[in-house]
Amino acid sequence: MSGGHSVGDELPLFELAVTSTVIVAGAIASRDFMPAHHDAEFAKAQGAPDMFMNILTTNGYVARFISDWAGPEAMIRKIAIRLGVPAIPGQPLRFSGQVMQTSQEGDECVMEVAIRAANELGDHATGKVVVSLPLG
Amino acid sequence: MADDETDGLRAQLEKYVGKPMGPPAVAPDPVNLPMIRHWVDALDDRNPVYLDEAFAATTRFGGIVAPPAMLQAWTMPRPKIEGIATRGGAPGEIPRDNPIVALDEAGYVGTLATNSELEFVRYLKPGDHLHVTTEVESISNRKTTSLGKGYFLTWVTTYTCDDEVVGRQLFRIFKFDPSTIGAAS
Repeated sequence: MSGGHSVGDELPLFELAVTSTVIVAGAIASRDFMPAHHDAEFAKAQGAPDMFMNILTTNGYVARFISDWAGPEAMIRKIAIRLGVPAIPGQPLRFSGQVMQTSQEGDECVMEVAIRAANELGDHATGKVVVSLPLG
Repeated sequence: MADDETDGLRAQLEKYVGKPMGPPAVAPDPVNLPMIRHWVDALDDRNPVYLDEAFAATTRFGGIVAPPAMLQAWTMPRPKIEGIATRGGAPGEIPRDNPIVALDEAGYVGTLATNSELEFVRYLKPGDHLHVTTEVESISNRKTTSLGKGYFLTWVTTYTCDDEVVGRQLFRIFKFDPSTIGAAS
């Protein structure tokens, strides 16, 4: 038990309705102008099924998924993901997570959370997030 | 996946390992509220520490901080839009002496990002001005995968503010030759 969270706790599921707008908004907010993240024809010519989400946006949604759950005092220390299938328009991305480990470091509790973001094609991103919360 | 022996190309690539991927870079702008607001709206992330100064002051951060995953966004190069598609999406001209170019020129033109590991030493505040260096961490031997033959290329980007390391990113891609798909190992 650490900061109200225990090993085995599951995070509330989050489903992101991925649209072209979601992908383009994230790409431009992260200053990523690669055509594959806003131009469906370009992406298809490169062998992708459609335009697809850039990795900065994926990391941004992982961070949001964690802090929506852990709250505004959460400080994310690490996001380590293995990248899988693309996140494309029309395929909702489902985020799930589980607390794997908790420990106390000074006046913080540190949690390791296993996360997965998947759509109908398979796993888009899987890995772990390390996040700390102040104690007390 | 099967390991192949070290081949001639891999030996040529050895000179890049442990070396910078390109020149050090400076973020075009310091961490700033307009870009934070743009990100917060784009990702619909309503964590109040990103925009609500009064609330953020009551937290351990003591004031507004930038969304951590924006780390790389601050140092993305300014793009030259004209011709970006014909450069394969690269924002600007690619430095010639680079392992990615070397692999492209050897026929390993396919690129698949496989791993991203972001580490945040501290959250960034408005006014922080990021400097960034990138070093090739490793290049694998040639591997045979379901995409064909290729090499895993890993680099580490270090983000600093006034010489203080504030974050790091390890990034790994697989550079493959699409014509070798289905090839026996």
